[in-house]
Amino acid sequence: MTEQALSLTVPVEGMTCASCVSHVENALKEVPGVSDVAVNLATGKASMRFDPGRANLSDIQRAVDDVGYHVPLAELTLDVRGLTCASCVDHVEGALKELRGVEEAVVNLGLGTARVRYIPGVVTVGQMKRAVREVGYEAQERSAGADALDRERQAREEEIRRQGRNLMVAGAIGMLVMLGTFYDMAGPLQRWIPVWLSYKWVLGLLTTPIVLGPGRQFFVNSWRGLRHGVTDMNLLYATGIGAAYGIAVINTLFPSAGFGGEGATFFESAALLTAFIVLGRWLEALTRGRTSEAIRKLMKLQPKIARVLRGDTEEEIPAEEVEVGDVVLVRPGESIPVDGTVRDGYSAVDESMLTGESLPVEKKAGDAVIGGTLNRTGAFRFVATRVGKETALAQIIKLVEDAQASKAPIQKLADWVAGHFILGVHMLAIAVFVFWFFFGYRLFFDPQSSFILSPYRLGEIGVFGFSLLLSVTVLVISCPCAVGLATPSAMMAGAGKGAEHGVLFKGAEAIENASKLRTIVFDKTGTLTRGEPSVTDIVPVAGASPKADDELLHLAAATEKNSEHPLGEAIVRAAHGRGLAVPDPLSFNSIPGQGVEARVDGRSVLLGNRRLMSEHALEFSAHLSHAERLEAEGKTVMFVAVDGAPAGLIAVADTLKEHSLEAIRQLHRLGLEVAMITGDNRRTAEAIGRQVEIDRVLAEVLPQDKAEQVRQLQSQGKKVAMVGDGVNDAPALAQADVGMAIGSGTDVAKETGHVILIKDDVRDVVVALEVAKATMRKVKQNLFWAFVYNTLGIPLGAGLLYPFLRLIVSPELAAAMMALSSVSVTLNTLLLKRFVPSMHRRSPTSGARTPWPDRQPVKAAAGE
Amino acid sequence: MEHDIVDTDVARRSARMYVPLSLGAGLAFYLAATFVGGNGLVARLGGATWVTLLSFIVSMPIVTSRVKTRARK
Repeated sequence: MTEQALSLTVPVEGMTCASCVSHVENALKEVPGVSDVAVNLATGKASMRFDPGRANLSDIQRAVDDVGYHVPLAELTLDVRGLTCASCVDHVEGALKELRGVEEAVVNLGLGTARVRYIPGVVTVGQMKRAVREVGYEAQERSAGADALDRERQAREEEIRRQGRNLMVAGAIGMLVMLGTFYDMAGPLQRWIPVWLSYKWVLGLLTTPIVLGPGRQFFVNSWRGLRHGVTDMNLLYATGIGAAYGIAVINTLFPSAGFGGEGATFFESAALLTAFIVLGRWLEALTRGRTSEAIRKLMKLQPKIARVLRGDTEEEIPAEEVEVGDVVLVRPGESIPVDGTVRDGYSAVDESMLTGESLPVEKKAGDAVIGGTLNRTGAFRFVATRVGKETALAQIIKLVEDAQASKAPIQKLADWVAGHFILGVHMLAIAVFVFWFFFGYRLFFDPQSSFILSPYRLGEIGVFGFSLLLSVTVLVISCPCAVGLATPSAMMAGAGKGAEHGVLFKGAEAIENASKLRTIVFDKTGTLTRGEPSVTDIVPVAGASPKADDELLHLAAATEKNSEHPLGEAIVRAAHGRGLAVPDPLSFNSIPGQGVEARVDGRSVLLGNRRLMSEHALEFSAHLSHAERLEAEGKTVMFVAVDGAPAGLIAVADTLKEHSLEAIRQLHRLGLEVAMITGDNRRTAEAIGRQVEIDRVLAEVLPQDKAEQVRQLQSQGKKVAMVGDGVNDAPALAQADVGMAIGSGTDVAKETGHVILIKDDVRDVVVALEVAKATMRKVKQNLFWAFVYNTLGIPLGAGLLYPFLRLIVSPELAAAMMALSSVSVTLNTLLLKRFVPSMHRRSPTSGARTPWPDRQPVKAAAGE
Repeated sequence: MEHDIVDTDVARRSARMYVPLSLGAGLAFYLAATFVGGNGLVARLGGATWVTLLSFIVSMPIVTSRVKTRARK
């Protein structure tokens, strides 16, 4: 793979099970130049990296088609303005065809249109319009609403409709076949059933359209796969339906052929088997889309229209055509179309949909606004700074989509099992057939025996018919579709649930790892603390009084006014906070490593550490105990001398964020060890550690050594998460099993780490862990039920109970159980939608559902 | 393209292996059912057909993917 390798995600149609996933993956891996292939059954997408120099999209499409699946193409028509001649046609067609993902572009000069066939997700409509504009023409989308979201919805609705039609046919006719089959046992109901319905040839005539109509898809799909050396669920269904139908036809047409005669036609098996399989497909199509609701909610946030100022006039244009630098107008109640910076106006904006922040955020000139959020009260104008794929919303959608498309380690195992399952099941079907043919029938067969949940007696069925019946049941009951759905459906729901709360998982692996964590390491500065020192204590030599405090602070602030040192800035902020005047110093001199000296209001001021004072022979011994007490609390003490005499102490410290303690207590309740890592000296670090009840303090760690500390914790066998600033702590975040970048805001694409916490709120660490744990709980529940179903179903289907109870599972009951298993797995996943992280649960008396009623943007706590 | 030529060749070479294998399995079943006795001709033929079909389904993908892997190398 060369350095030009690109990431690509293409939709894949026709996948129904985990074995389909491995077939598509294997097919794509065989294409030269393609690597890192991950196929997701639930999203119906294949992600990969490919080298454009060695492979093209056609190779990828062909590889998918070859194994019986399909990369669907979308089509749209652009109205192109400015076309005047044949060369214009060439230009526009050429510009469109150059875009990766455009398969065909046909420009019609007379109509002024360009019809484009393209792979959705690889190229966007906006890119096409831009390409046309760049060669000198104007393009407008003709079919409004044909965006990715609508297409995805349309495709899903089409599948629901298709399987719904199949179900109507198979279900309705299947009921007639069942009535006819059980005519003899209908008792008083017999008078309502015409006798001819029980004729075998009528049952055959009724079953045929079911097998050739709704059942046809299974034969076609399995043959396509077989031709290319792959097997999938369709093959199980096709052999099951085909065998039941074939034997029924033979026994009807040639009753004396020895296959069990008219008493063993089993048309109802073929009919109801098809009906139940189709029912399963229909229910799956209905429920599967719901697991990706979160991403649809995000997509729906994307505004369609923007009102921009062009010259002096206001123009309404599609939001995707807003360009960087455009001035955009927003009125109350309108959505903000793209990201930008407020130029003028004032309003409150609801950003809850992206950040989880429940209170509207005030916006004034200079503040950033995020596309997709809702303007509440005022009107304002802003300058677009990020458009198209660069907007925060687009980045979040991409991140969530990528996470949903990725594969967790647990899923890889489940897919491998399911992928190899089908062949194993066919081998088992041969073994079951051979056993019952040569041994079982002779030893155990009883003509009075029957199917489970059926009054139908097996009667005169012969050795072949009986063995075949059990063999077919094994094929049908073994379908591992629930196994294939178990993990991806839960991962999709989990990634979406995280996004709802401003927690973005970068992949399914991050979710799985986050659920296994034992130790959480917090970076101190900026994560647990505000990251900005504040003045905490003022101790004048003259004695404690507000006036003496203010005088000392006034002199110290003026001395530090020109300083760029964070401690000096804290003193200046504190003075401003108290409304004190901070004049410019008459002179200023910085003494490296010691402090500063200045002349303020005609007085000579020295401000710095002990060494500075001792070098100037200033005696602070009366105040040293006070200074030591403050230092023991983790504060930095600065000594102030005025006109050659001690004037007082000023203590500065980095203060805790308001929710740090609450979050750490909750992590303890979850049974996790909490550590803090900092470059501060041990005394300061331990003082902070005590305040937030940290279990382990890693002090005096240089920034470049943080990753090493994380590695040491991992070497003790712990799964470690590192929570910190996504930029400064990048190596440690990368080293950790789960790196959580906190307070990244909405520029999520730049962040390192496996989990991104949009808000600057430590409690979201708890949210991330709880969502991950809830998701993995669902994955395990789903896998458990899926495997339990197969583990119990296969022996039952193979006739294990028959020697003792004289009961066997009919193929149609096997199909019903199969349908139930995959639907139950999906429904179980949907329960995750009701999950609320503990930090967001409110007491019944508080009313509001959202968790952040008292939070304000973090500001310098000057003067506290 | 090179891809298509390889696929056709793979399909042919695979078929030369899995077809005899499946037919062999069916024949073995037929002979065993005859040897054991007590099974009618139709049951034996039906059983042999079912075993052939399932063997075909089992062997076809295994053989094809192995031959394909070798051809790609």
